[in-house]
Amino acid sequence: MSGLPLRLSCKEAHRLVSEELDRALPLGERLRVRMHLLACGSCTHFKQQMQFLRSAMRRLGE
Amino acid sequence: MQDTALNQALGQLRPTLLKIARLQLRNDTWAEDVVSETLIAALEGAQDFAGTSQLKTWVVGILKHKIIDQFRRTSREVSVEAAVEAAEAESYEELFQANGHFANPVPAWGNPESALGEAQFLQILQACVDKLPASLGRIFMMREWLEQDTDEICKELGITPTNCFVMLYRARMRLRECLQLNWFGEALGT
Repeated sequence: MSGLPLRLSCKEAHRLVSEELDRALPLGERLRVRMHLLACGSCTHFKQQMQFLRSAMRRLGE
Repeated sequence: MQDTALNQALGQLRPTLLKIARLQLRNDTWAEDVVSETLIAALEGAQDFAGTSQLKTWVVGILKHKIIDQFRRTSREVSVEAAVEAAEAESYEELFQANGHFANPVPAWGNPESALGEAQFLQILQACVDKLPASLGRIFMMREWLEQDTDEICKELGITPTNCFVMLYRARMRLRECLQLNWFGEALGT
């Protein structure tokens, strides 16, 4: 297992939200992130912003 | 497209291509080289350009491949820089308290999609990317603009996947903050 605590801190959740854009997270990590996001507005906003950043980057240089 | 017309159109694109290449490679000589290679490839492949996409989109597509080739040639130099960068202390750590929770909440960005249509927003995004430390900017652009796989990026930069994820994370944190300060913060009236 990932060695992560069941309840993630925002810092851990942020790191995993970013990492999810770069690799498929193992199931355990994915569920931890999802659980955290259900309860945390800041990290939910962060995730939306990361997805937005990705779509915005695709527009550069067009 | 006629040869002369193509020549002319490519000539007009050159400054744009050069600007993109400089931002990516941060080395004028390499940038000149990849742009020259791109223009030659475009001239050679002119019959493949069926006019189905815009000329600029097609040529920028070629440029991306040439930039990736250049990364491969220079991966050694890049990886040294990347290692130095990874060791750098991070100011965004201040965002978090000792227990890993936020010192300040992350605000929502309202309707960010509407910003995508605005030229000024894209300029600010570009400026934020340019402000990243060189190696973070490079890896971020490899991932998000050249759309390379992380496996491929790690291999080219000679860094571990963990290091790769950490650098991408740091780049995204900085960009988020930069956009918050220079675009979305204003919209929120703060």
